[in-house]
This record gives sequence, structure tokens and C-alpha cells, in this order.
Amino acid sequence: MKSRILVLSVILTLLLATSSGVANPGGKGDSNRDYTCGGSCHGDPSLSSPSSAIINVDIPSTVYSSTTAEVSVSISNLDTSDNGLVGIFLLGSKNGNSDHPEDYGWAIIQDPNGGLSNYVEVVSSDNQVTVSWVLLVPDDLGTKEIYVSIQHGSYYNHNNKAFIGETDAIVVNIEPVPENYPTLAEGWTSPVERISGDSSPITIRTVNTESLTVYWRLSGETSSHEATVDLVADQEWEVSLPATLGDTRIEYQIIASMNEFSNQMPWLSIGTSEPYFDGTSLGAKLQSIAFILIILGFMLSLQTWFAPRGVKKSIDHTTVVEESIVSKKIEESTSEPDSDYWSRLIKSDDNPGWLWDPVENEWVADPNLSGGEQ
Amino acid sequence: MYAVTFHHMVVGLAAGSGTLMGICAFLAWLTSYISNLESSKSTLDKASYAASILTLITLPLAMLSGYYSVSDPSGSAILYNKFIFSGIAIGFTLSYIIGRRRFGSDMWNHSALANIQMLSALFGLTAIMILGSIGSKITLGESTLDIFPFWPEFMNSIVINQWISLSLLLIGLSSVIFSFRIVDSSA
Repeated sequence: MKSRILVLSVILTLLLATSSGVANPGGKGDSNRDYTCGGSCHGDPSLSSPSSAIINVDIPSTVYSSTTAEVSVSISNLDTSDNGLVGIFLLGSKNGNSDHPEDYGWAIIQDPNGGLSNYVEVVSSDNQVTVSWVLLVPDDLGTKEIYVSIQHGSYYNHNNKAFIGETDAIVVNIEPVPENYPTLAEGWTSPVERISGDSSPITIRTVNTESLTVYWRLSGETSSHEATVDLVADQEWEVSLPATLGDTRIEYQIIASMNEFSNQMPWLSIGTSEPYFDGTSLGAKLQSIAFILIILGFMLSLQTWFAPRGVKKSIDHTTVVEESIVSKKIEESTSEPDSDYWSRLIKSDDNPGWLWDPVENEWVADPNLSGGEQ
Repeated sequence: MYAVTFHHMVVGLAAGSGTLMGICAFLAWLTSYISNLESSKSTLDKASYAASILTLITLPLAMLSGYYSVSDPSGSAILYNKFIFSGIAIGFTLSYIIGRRRFGSDMWNHSALANIQMLSALFGLTAIMILGSIGSKITLGESTLDIFPFWPEFMNSIVINQWISLSLLLIGLSSVIFSFRIVDSSA
């Protein structure tokens, strides 16, 4: 009996510990993910549907090992949700684990958003998207497979389903790099972003390169410009790209040459980030309180300086009351009782507390009683 | 999540009460120069006073909710500026309230005091407008005040060293205490 209760308790605990699986209509951000729906728990058929999108992948069928290759993914016929968000996976397999291209020897030099992720989220335009990854080809020769998978929402999606699309394997034949073939050094990656206004050169490391030419252009431009390249060490080059401001992206293309070989690489891009800000939360609070007190002190000083005396006491009526009390006392002490006056006053039973003055024809408060008391 | 919603609500209240404070204080100041407004002086004074108290309540709430609405409240110059201008707005609003409390409604009859009070209220309102403009820049990327050619974007900020801030805080506190003591001794 005890063991049954224990088993039921464990099952109940496990059931309660699970979170409900929901779609992620706002996206989950770029990251490194395996094939299994990017961790969005869309494996349940009731939660997902096949996408109507058409996915085209463009990658050279034959590439040289340890060189760069561009994987261009074009997606059309997309039916996305309001925000137009599409999640795109670049995969080395569809096993559900260890699907990252790096698990198969590829290295991502740059993803479509300027990062180093195999899963990116982009916003579609006119129901289509075109993105590209720049990869460093594996060292080992032979054939490798590349897969692309997508996930997105839909405008009419009352059940919050995820729409999944995927390609078949795209086979890439990797051949040995020709002797002295100029290319990028293994492990080199493009900078993701530069600080706004920073014009410091970027460093490129190569192999078998005799000369390096770099062209740059701003994102969206068609014409390109040649950048200044300096050799600073053996196979290490410094490229001067103009500083960028705001959210501008600058693209550059490296052409490495050695004798008769010239390796024109894919366009890479660098984003622009805001300048480093060294403010702290405590500093902001202290500065804010300091400003409150400085302003308050200054304004109160001004008020004190310009306040006329009469106004200064307008809210405090103590002196007025005191003065009236003093004057009343003086008046009482100086005034002698006039016996003739008081003797002519007539008491009235009808108006207790009051005395009738027949000369002045007026009622006067009886000083022996509180004036006017009934 | 609720901090964002609450921030939207309380910011609206702060902006509304701050605007009422500034406009009513300005009109109350004008009553000394425009005879037609003389009869409304008391009403304008009271409205401005009440609005300034509401502003003083809502501004710290707006700061607090704004602090919890973003992941890194002081991580960029534009957010840092919100702290600074909140301090400026609270400083001027508090000056206005203390001035009104110290001198009563008679202060509008004395031009120097009336000028100081009117400027306190208007500077408070300006700081609140700048806060709104910065908030709009953060959420919408643009502000209605961008139409002014001289309106800064507040993308940069003046960060004062924490020790200097602390020194300024102590100087400010001393000047406040000193001002009150002068008033007490002269009263």
C-alpha cells in the first residue's frame, strides 16, 4: 500500500512539475538549438502543422575544406502571424540532439543577424525571407549534409499552432583545399558589432595569403568601396572600416590572394552598438536625490531671501492673537468703571445676561454674567 | 509585467497633475497683471496646490514602477536621464509645495515670491515634459517634442561620480536645513 502511494505521489509530483506547452508568438531570440522544434515543444501533432512555405537553400555543392562558404536560404509563400516573425534553423542533422552544424565540423563565422547562432529569428517582408550564414568548412573530407528548418505562426491561427517546415538533406562535397589556397585562419570570426563612432581597425587572420583586399558598403547599398588594409604581423591584417552611428550595419567582403589563387569570400556584416555607459543604479539614485535636495535648498533660500516680513508670518497668526490679547488687557486695565453708566442700566428678566441702556437705547452685556449668555 | 502597466497608469497621472500644477500656478501668477483673472486667483491657487501634492505622490511612484519595468534601469544614458529629470521634477514640485505651505495664498500678492513660485511650478512641469519625451523616445523611438529644433535627444548623460553625488546630496541637505533655520529664527 505504501509503495503504491509513493508511486502515485511521484507521478503526481512529476505531472505538477511540468509546465504547459505553448507556442512562442513573440519568438525566443537567436540561439544555438537542435532540431526538436527549437525547444518550443511543438512535437505534439495537435500543436503543430506543416508549413506552406517553400524553402530554397543555395550552397556550393563542392567546397574546399577550411575555407568559407555561404549558405543562402530563401523562403517564400510564407503565411506568418501579425509580427511576421520566422524562426530559421541551420542544422547538421535532424536527430533531435547534437544537430548543430558545429557538431559536424562546420563553424559559423556569421549568422544572418550578425551573430554566431544556428537559429535566428527574422521578420518576413511580402511573405518571403532571404538570409545567409557564412560558414567555415570542416577539415575532414567527404560529404556532409546540411538541413534547414523553419517555424512560424499564421495570421489565422486560433489554436496557436506552430507551422513547421524543413528541407531534405543538402549534400555538400568537401574536397581538400588546394595547396597554398588563401583563406581565413581557423577560429577567426567576424566581430558582431562595433561601438557607435568607433573607427578602430578590425583584425583579420588568414592562411596562405599574400595580399588581402577588403571592400565595404553600408547595408542596403549596392556600390562598394575599397578599405585600407595593413599587414601588422604574419598573416594578420588590420582593416580600416569607417565608423558607423545609430543602428547602421556595415558589410565587408574579404578577397584573399596568393599567386594565381584568389578567394573571394561572402559578404560579412558588423552592427553598431551604443557607446559603453558607465552609470550605475546606485549612482543614478544618489544623483537624483542630490538634485532634489540641491534644487530644494536653492529654491527655499530664494524664498527666504525674497520673502517680505509680513508675508513670512501670514500662515502663523500667533503674534496677531498675542497682540489682540495684550491690547484687550491694556484696554481692560485702563478703563475705569463708570458708576453712573452702570447704575442707569436696567436688568431684564426676559433677557438674562443683558442690561438695557435707556439713554443709548441698546442692550449691553452684563459684566457679572458672560456677555449675551441666555 | 504589472510594473509596466502600473508605470503607464501612474505616468499619466503624474503628467496630468504636473500640467495642472504648472498651468494653474502660471495663471495664478498672471492674476496680478490681468484684472479679469483676479476673481479666479483663489481657485487657481488651490487647484495648483492640490495638483502639486498629487504630482509629488505620483512622481516617486512613476520612478519606482519605471525602475522595475526595465531589465537594466541605469544601463543606458537615456534611462539614466530619467532618474536625473525625475529628481529635478520632484525638487521643483517640492519647492512649490513648501513655498505655498510657508507663505499661504498671500504669496501671490508679492511679486518676488509669486515669481519664484511660478518658476518652480513651470520648471517642474518642464522636467515632467522632458521625462515624457524621454519615455516616448524609449518606447516609440520618437517624441512630439522632436519638432523643436533645439530639443535635445537625451542620448547622452552627465554621470557624476558617486562620491561627488553624495557630497552634493549632503550640501543640498545642509542648505535645506539652513534655509528652514533662517525662517525659524526670523519668524
